[in-house]
Amino acid sequence: MIQPERLPVSKDAAYRNKDLALNWIRFVRKYGPIPANDSAFEEHTGKAANRAGVSPITFLHPRFAEVLQCLTGQEILSVILTGTAGDGKTHLCGKIWTELRGDPTAWASNNPYIYLVLPSGAKLHVIRDLSAWVPQQGAEWNEPERDLLELFSRCLFESTGTDYFLIAANDGQLIETWRRLPDSLSVNKARRHFEQMLVEDLESLPDVALRFFNLSRGSSAELFDCAVEAFLEHPGWQYCFAGESGESVAFGPLSPIRRNFELLQSTQLRQRLRDLLELCDYNDLHIPIREILALLVNAVLGHPTCNKDHLMVPGDVARLIKEGSLARASIYNNLIGGNLRESRRESIGVFNYLDRFRLGHETTNRIDSILIFGEADDALREYYDAYLGNDEFYGADASYRQAQSNYVEAADEDGSNSKFLDMLIAQRRALFFKIPASEAEELHLWELTVFRFAGEYLEKVVRNLCPPAQGRVERAIVNRLVRGLNRVIVGMLITDDRKLFLGTSLQSTGAKVSRIYEDAISVQASRGEKVEIVWNGNKPALLVTLNEHISESFTLNLVRYEFLSRVAEGALPSSFSKECYEDVLSFKSRLLTALKKRRQQDGDQLDNTLTFQRLRLDESGRPENLTIQLTVPA
Amino acid sequence: MHETILAADTAVARPPRGHYPNSDLWLDEQIWGHRIYPQTPWLLFLECLTVAEYFLRKGALLDEQGSYYPLVFYPLRRMHLRNILWNNDLIKSLENEKLDSNTSWKTWLEWMSEHAQNLHENDFSYLKPRFEKFSDFAFLVGMLRDASVEGESNKRWTSRFVFPFGASAIYEDATLDGKRDYINFTRTGELLYLMLCRSSVANELRPHLAQFLRGDNEWNKLLRVLEKTQEENGTERKSSYLPYKKHPCFDRLAEDWLRLFELGLPNFDVLNHMVTMGALHVLLYQLHVAAAWSNKQEPLTLLCEVVAPKKTLVRELSIINFQENNSLSGEAIQAYLTRISESTEWQEALALATQQDQYSRCREILLQEVWWNDQDYNGGEDPATLVEFLRDKAQSRHQQHAGEVHRSFGRLIGLVSRRATNKFRYAPTDSFLKTLIFANVRQRMELKEFFNLLFERYGLVFSEREAAQVIAEDEYDPKPFAANAARLEARLSSLGLLRRLSDGCAYIINPHGLE
Repeated sequence: MIQPERLPVSKDAAYRNKDLALNWIRFVRKYGPIPANDSAFEEHTGKAANRAGVSPITFLHPRFAEVLQCLTGQEILSVILTGTAGDGKTHLCGKIWTELRGDPTAWASNNPYIYLVLPSGAKLHVIRDLSAWVPQQGAEWNEPERDLLELFSRCLFESTGTDYFLIAANDGQLIETWRRLPDSLSVNKARRHFEQMLVEDLESLPDVALRFFNLSRGSSAELFDCAVEAFLEHPGWQYCFAGESGESVAFGPLSPIRRNFELLQSTQLRQRLRDLLELCDYNDLHIPIREILALLVNAVLGHPTCNKDHLMVPGDVARLIKEGSLARASIYNNLIGGNLRESRRESIGVFNYLDRFRLGHETTNRIDSILIFGEADDALREYYDAYLGNDEFYGADASYRQAQSNYVEAADEDGSNSKFLDMLIAQRRALFFKIPASEAEELHLWELTVFRFAGEYLEKVVRNLCPPAQGRVERAIVNRLVRGLNRVIVGMLITDDRKLFLGTSLQSTGAKVSRIYEDAISVQASRGEKVEIVWNGNKPALLVTLNEHISESFTLNLVRYEFLSRVAEGALPSSFSKECYEDVLSFKSRLLTALKKRRQQDGDQLDNTLTFQRLRLDESGRPENLTIQLTVPA
Repeated sequence: MHETILAADTAVARPPRGHYPNSDLWLDEQIWGHRIYPQTPWLLFLECLTVAEYFLRKGALLDEQGSYYPLVFYPLRRMHLRNILWNNDLIKSLENEKLDSNTSWKTWLEWMSEHAQNLHENDFSYLKPRFEKFSDFAFLVGMLRDASVEGESNKRWTSRFVFPFGASAIYEDATLDGKRDYINFTRTGELLYLMLCRSSVANELRPHLAQFLRGDNEWNKLLRVLEKTQEENGTERKSSYLPYKKHPCFDRLAEDWLRLFELGLPNFDVLNHMVTMGALHVLLYQLHVAAAWSNKQEPLTLLCEVVAPKKTLVRELSIINFQENNSLSGEAIQAYLTRISESTEWQEALALATQQDQYSRCREILLQEVWWNDQDYNGGEDPATLVEFLRDKAQSRHQQHAGEVHRSFGRLIGLVSRRATNKFRYAPTDSFLKTLIFANVRQRMELKEFFNLLFERYGLVFSEREAAQVIAEDEYDPKPFAANAARLEARLSSLGLLRRLSDGCAYIINPHGLE
């Protein structure tokens, strides 16, 4: 934790520091959750930083070294950096430019296309903003632009050794640009390859001299690690919290800005937040760097009643203390955008995604008992003190106690309770970040989110399988998922989880209930069959092996994992997620096709016997299949 | 378009009047064929299969062998099978009574010999040796009954149909006393068959259709087990007439079926999509032909609303667009009659000396052109009144039958809906969208490209880009259409049929796509 240093400073220096502190806060707010959807964010922050006399928040992109390697290694490869707005494409381009000793004045120009000469003597064409480079929609191509992109397309397939490219573009623009280019063999081929790499998440293809970096496919959790470090370590905070400034009302011990900044340094809080972001990754919800920074700024400065953007400025602090509304600046609430209006929260990816965990709205009886009755209940008192009583800042303050006692004593249906219910929401959120890992299981931490199985998913599945880990997932989990699959596939409340049952109905494989038994795949390895959870690319997947050559896999993102687990525990498939239900049905369809393939390999029966297998459940939910055989008359 | 369809070399000669002794007007028939009538999409499909099944037996599937008329075929009736499946209430209660197998057989056979209908001999004893136990037989019959097509809407047992597992499931509709009826099988299915024959990919489609009909699956074989003996031949059916030798709609229909087959969907999953596509293309065929006859210049469009929680501009435009399209076929009828009254022949008739001569010549022309003998006409001897009378008559006749096709087919395939309003519009269902994707996306396709393809191929408009091409500038506002496209995107993504990459870039994914 950064300790405010007590340096002897001159009076002038103190004033200067105060200005710097204010400048820093003013500047850092620009990273906040304000609607700034411009593509030149990078340039604008650079200029704003200059004006404020501070340096921007920067860190080396996790993929920097790899990109550089492509352009400086033995075999040079062109590079496309793609991703969504705010992924840091331009920033990464700039770092590469500097590293390769590109002319700083060329970079400072507004030209979207610049170039430099590589050590090998070859030319590196850099298109740092493709959308600014190609003609507007509907306008004609200019020759130089078209020629350059055609040259690029050709270079992908026949290396000349003289021209290489570094192109930054949103994926949509990339495809759109190549669609608009006049047709030619290499242009069409290039477009098909881009498409394939984008949709199938590939970084390279055989015989194509290109590395494709889709920054939107990187891990948001990893970006978070870099960003939070750079954010907290930024010297700008020293102006605020060190020296005399650190004793001012705005940044002193009672300041929520300071308190939030300190809390953000806690390993546990960071880990829990990181877990949430990692789970977003596993739900295919990507959070760009710009939004991670917005999240961090909001965490420290957020307050629902301050300013238009709901972010505090130092001048607000005195008022907040006087009003007694410090608790509403709680970092726990800010982290998920609780300080923002709903419409704003929905419009910013990161808050929208975090909101899907429904933190604060999901709870258990135990948690609510601690929050409501904990102070008076001996059995819960210990928890109450640890999580609320001892937190003078965001725990049970005077207003909380007052509202709580009103709530407990009030008659039912009393409208005045709504204030306390709002406080409960904030406290549940706080609890999610406060409960230490050692108590997570006991207090059912993840039941504070809609993803009750998220903790298990991370700890017992992801961290066991994600390379370099080479662990295995415990049997009970595989069995539970199989039971969930069985229930969706067969449409009856099967209790069996040692085999994966494949059933059909007569007309359509998508029918809700299957009364015809097709086959069952053993979960435990047996005669070439097995069902296991494996690591597949960037996610766990359920792999169903039918024999040596035939297998099908079902990617387990968090939602699917939760879905199958809940169905296994008795939830009705249609009540949870239509999307997952459709996904499983389409997996079923693939499994049936695989089964057909295996039957063909095994050789079809050619005799005159017809066999039907009827699938039904016995009283305890175990499936039984009755075989009916008959002979076809000649 | 107008020119190409109506050109002489694509027209199939009008059949002799004597082939249709009961016809008192030949008008819709000359424009779209004999006949285009509303019918449910599944029955349309099954009727088409009755023709296909016959020609497969005769080794001439999808092959008209150079002659466009008449289409003569002999569909099967499979009365043993149908009595077992549909005229047989006892079987269920016997299954529940848990009698021993022999007793059950005995009771059942007795009951059948009394109650079976439309057979020469009510003898079902051939079944007993084919099954080990009566309960096996009863279970399998129960399964087949559950797999009936349009089970809810057809009450009459002779009009109930088993799911088309293969050729053994194909038979024609009948009245209770076993005669051919045109209520369920309206002949439009026969036109569907002819369209396939005349498509540019008939040769490619043939092996797929043949393989499906051969039905190498246990259910199709089971149906054979239930039949006493193979039926020799059915009753002669003829006189379907499709007036065009070729049409882009025929090609698109067959291409869509072909691509659906090529997906290799498991079990019988492909059939549902074929049913939807079959009805969609008949609907589009009717609209295209109507537009050509009524000399419409602008391309045919169907503005689709992806249902929004509240009223939007897209919904309003879609309602208007639906109404315009819905009246197209009626306009074609009127345009056809206008052609007659503007023809040289008619003008010459009007130039005759006496009004009586004029009137009598005009009557002759109408008799010759539309086979109308004006028995029901009781107005004055004035050609203008006569033709006005015919216009009203033709219009109301059209409204009762062919004029219903667009709305009726549209609703039943999930293209047209009244959801959240009291007016019809194009508002496709999830399953309709799925069919479009399965038929058009081989593996994946960029969303905008997909929108464009739906527009080019079917005239379907979803997004602002296509809307801009078809809506007058003063009525056009891109925003509601962009929102419409975004809603579609969200729906497809929830069906696992779309993958969003990032801002402005999404791909339609066919989960069964070819590698």
